[in-house]
Parts: sequence; C-alpha cells; structure tokens
Amino acid sequence: MTCSTQIDIEVVQALLTALQDDNQAQAAELLDNLTQLRESELYQHLSGLTHNLHDTLDELVDNELLLQTKHDIPDVAERLEYVLSSTEEGCAKTLASTEKAMDLSESIGDLVQGAVDEAKQQQIQGLLSELNTELTNVLLAQSFQDLTGQVLNRVALTISSLEQSLIQLISESKHDFDAIPDREEGEQKTAEMKGIGPNVTKKSKQDSVDSQSDVDDLLGELGI
Amino acid sequence: MQMNRDMNILVVDDFSTMRRIVKNLLKELGFHKFDEADDGATAWPMVQTGKYDFIVSDWNMPDMTGLDLLKHVRADANLQNTPFLLITAEAKRSQILEAAQAGVDGYIVKPFTAATLNAKIHKIFERVAERDAAK
Repeated sequence: MTCSTQIDIEVVQALLTALQDDNQAQAAELLDNLTQLRESELYQHLSGLTHNLHDTLDELVDNELLLQTKHDIPDVAERLEYVLSSTEEGCAKTLASTEKAMDLSESIGDLVQGAVDEAKQQQIQGLLSELNTELTNVLLAQSFQDLTGQVLNRVALTISSLEQSLIQLISESKHDFDAIPDREEGEQKTAEMKGIGPNVTKKSKQDSVDSQSDVDDLLGELGI
Repeated sequence: MQMNRDMNILVVDDFSTMRRIVKNLLKELGFHKFDEADDGATAWPMVQTGKYDFIVSDWNMPDMTGLDLLKHVRADANLQNTPFLLITAEAKRSQILEAAQAGVDGYIVKPFTAATLNAKIHKIFERVAERDAAK
C-alpha cells in the first residue's frame, strides 16, 4: 500500500544534520514528526477504504440480500422438510402397493394350480415370476429416498449456517434486522404468474386452496 | 369437438416423470395418441401446426409458462377453441382466477388422482360438445 506522503527534503536534511551533530534529541523529534505525518496519511487512507467498504455493504444489503435473508432463506428449511417428508410418504405408498401386488401375484399363482393344464400352468408361472422380478425392482428402486434424505439433511445444515452468517453480516453493517420490510406486492404477483410451485410453507399456504374440491368450488362460481 | 379416443393429445411438463404419469393415466382412460413437450416454448410451435385436439399442461416451466401457452392459444384465431387443461402445483386463489380469466377449460391441482383426471376430461368435452351444439 503506498501513500503519497509529502516529505520535505529540508526536514530530511535537518534530520541528517542532527544525526551528524550527534543531536539525538533533535533527531528523535524530527523522526517523530515524519512518522506522525506518515501515520496520519495511512490512517486517512485506511479510513477511506473502510468507508468504501461500508458504502458497498450498504448498497449490497439495501437491496436483495436483506429481503432474501429475512424472507427467502428461512423458507428454505421448511421447503427441505417438505421434500423429505413427501418423498418418504411417496415411497411408503409405493412400497405398500408393491407389497400388495406381490401378494396378489402369489394368489394368482395358487389359483392356477390344478385349474389349468400343465402347459398353461408353466406359462402362467413364468409370467408371474417375471412380474415378481419387476415388483422387486420397484421395491429396490425406493431406496433412493434414504440416500437423497441424507444429502438433504446436509444441505439443510449448510443453509442454516449460511443464514447465521448473513444475519451477522447484516447486523455488522448496522442494519436493523427487524426493520427489514416485506417484499412488495407487485413482486409477489409477478412471481405468481411465472409460477411459484407447491405452497409448502406456512406463509405461502395463505390464500391458497387445500384440495381439488376447493378449486372446483372456486371455478364453479365462474361457470367452469 | 368430440372427445374421441383417437384424438391427438399434447402433454407439456418440464418434469419427465410427470409427463410419464399423465400419459400412463390417459392410456388407462383409453387414449393412445400422445406427443410431449418439456416447456411452453417447445410446445408452442408444435401447437401451431394445428395437430392437437387437446392440450394438457403444467404451469411452472422455465421458458414459457403453461399460463402463457394458454394465452397464446386463445389469442390465435385458428387455435383458440383448443380444449386446454392445466395440471399444476400452483394453488393460490389468485392464480386459479387468472387461469380462468385466460380461458382455461379445466384446472387440476397436484397431487391428483386418476379419478379426478377422468372426471375433468369428461367435463371439458361435455362443455365443448354443448358449445358446439349451440352454434
């Protein structure tokens, strides 16, 4: 880091003279003056830099970052929770149906024993065996949920840590977290027209329908 | 426009699993002629060929939403009466009303059942038949 300190050649000559005269007191005083000058220049430069950083931070946090930290990032945790629980639910349903299908397959196998001729029995058993293989494949495929669940849990931890860092950054730039306003209504409307996905957070469930019959009621009023 | 099992259906959704599920359900209902598109933007040129008797579309897609696809269809003199069903996770009242205003024929929220899909398709084509008969 360089600063343009105006060092007078006379001061340096005076210092040199003082040293040649072995005038330690004079030399020390002159050196002090030079150092102070340098220090105050440095100090001003540093102040300037800090001010810039402050302004930059102010600009940064004034816009999207504040809103995102207050509104969007806390939502992420709820959304991840939704992903975890709905994939678990989906897998459970798939497994239940698969198990039922396997039972039915067994029942069919039992039913054809002695009910049809040998050749046909062989054929049917062959097909049932293929069916069971496919059902087992469906069963095994559900194991993705365990692995994706583990990955999501780590993502949730990272997001939580990021959230804390951002809140700290905001407070260090002297912003009042609680004073951060809500998003503008127009922004919300634009987002809705583009599509915002399923409403899975408590906040987003406001003003949304709960079921198909709610949709039907709403559209029924309009003659659709 | 009659609902007949031979009609050409366009299924639009950016998630291939959802397109697959919708197609399979439609097959169970007896339909067998399908094309797919992964976005409103890829669907629109396909729709403009005039090939499709029925469009089933998601809303939330990156390049062109299902809502915008619907608006394009309704704005085109040759295509404006194409039956259009939205199957979507978008469930805000304001969104449903917006879709209704844009001229959607049916609106199904995800997750949905085969029975709901069946009922909505029948309802759409009943109304289409009534409208045609009134002409």
